[in-house]
Amino acid sequence: MKGRFYRLTRDLHLYLGLFISPFVLLFSVSVFFFVHSWTPNLAPDTARTRVVSSLNLPTDLPKLSGRPLVDALKPILESMNVPGEIGFVQHTVKDETLIIPVSIPGRATSVSIDLARHEATIVTRETGFADALMTLHKSPGGHGPGIRMNWFVMKAWRWFADATVYLTLFISVSGIYLWYVLRAERRIGFILLFAGTLTFFGIAYAVSR
Amino acid sequence: MPSAAEPVVAASSKTPARSWAGFERWNRKLHFYSGLFLIFFLWLFAFTGLLLNHPAWTFHEHWKNRQETNDERAITAPGTDAVTDLDQARNIMRQLGIEGDILWTTTRTDSSLLEFQVRRPGHFFFIKADWTKGNATVRQADVNLWGIMKVLHVFDGNVADDPRNHRDWALTYLWAYSMDAVAAGLILMVLSSVFMWLRLPQKRWTGAIVLGLGCLCCGLFCLGLRWLF
Repeated sequence: MKGRFYRLTRDLHLYLGLFISPFVLLFSVSVFFFVHSWTPNLAPDTARTRVVSSLNLPTDLPKLSGRPLVDALKPILESMNVPGEIGFVQHTVKDETLIIPVSIPGRATSVSIDLARHEATIVTRETGFADALMTLHKSPGGHGPGIRMNWFVMKAWRWFADATVYLTLFISVSGIYLWYVLRAERRIGFILLFAGTLTFFGIAYAVSR
Repeated sequence: MPSAAEPVVAASSKTPARSWAGFERWNRKLHFYSGLFLIFFLWLFAFTGLLLNHPAWTFHEHWKNRQETNDERAITAPGTDAVTDLDQARNIMRQLGIEGDILWTTTRTDSSLLEFQVRRPGHFFFIKADWTKGNATVRQADVNLWGIMKVLHVFDGNVADDPRNHRDWALTYLWAYSMDAVAAGLILMVLSSVFMWLRLPQKRWTGAIVLGLGCLCCGLFCLGLRWLF
């Protein structure tokens, strides 16, 4: 029974670990980009601009905000072939303009809708692989919960991001069990566990005291 | 109990084979040594990542539950050696006994006024120093343990696309480099685990399918979306 439990835990640790390893790499590599405010530009940023006119805009569009505004913008953006996650929309009352950021990991699109002329200027920038990793790392994020996850793909991403956390927690706990079973490694393991605990709480206390 | 990943070496192995076995043994050891050392860091970043992804979960609300105090304190004008905004802010912080990373939120319009924020996990200081009046107003907001944990997840002293805001506190450097170390440790653990799996012939196919599935799902988001949409 004990042997079966050990083998099952070991296999789950291995296979689930292999499944989430690309996600762990994604989150780990992007840490360096965040911490050092640096992204490698493997390919040059490219931008293209196009204009779409004769837009069919709902009359109450300028009065909307938050999720209702995002919901109203979705079919408009779809008609202009601009897919992606809609960010915080800026409404410039003076110029009667809506500026809508739309993102796909690795691509940033800015759509400026001229409400009076029913015309949109769409600027699309290919931001690259590193930027894609950073976008995914911080998605959905803590800001603007009311409007976030307005693109089905990013909803799916949240499931994967959550699954990565749950599986990481499982793998870490099962890893502790698999280590503890190895009697010869217990002493050095305890020393490292203690040293890591001390380091973590020491630094966390120092920065937050 | 021996692990399935434990290499078996014949006593009569030649030197290259023995060094290879030594590498395998140490690869395996380093996998769980780094895991054990980083376990609390890993739990913090994993758990707070989950919390940050679910702002609608109310149990970890920290900003609404903050405790605020307002204070007005006497200060003296920074000396002539404090030339830059950063020097002057540090001088004011020393006088007020406040430590943390400086966040610039406003553009300065008056050379005798300095408005800035100081942050460290759990504590936020909003400072307005006016040395013509010889005082500084300090609004301090303290948040709960959830707030401390979530700030630790993102506390690197930088603000995206704002070169004015960068790390300026020694402990921010320490925490930021800890984040680097955790990320490097995790990359090492992933690579060592792939190596250990490759040394298990009986688990190679199942592992390849599972790893391939993971790569496919992850690759779809990292690269595929730009092709599909």
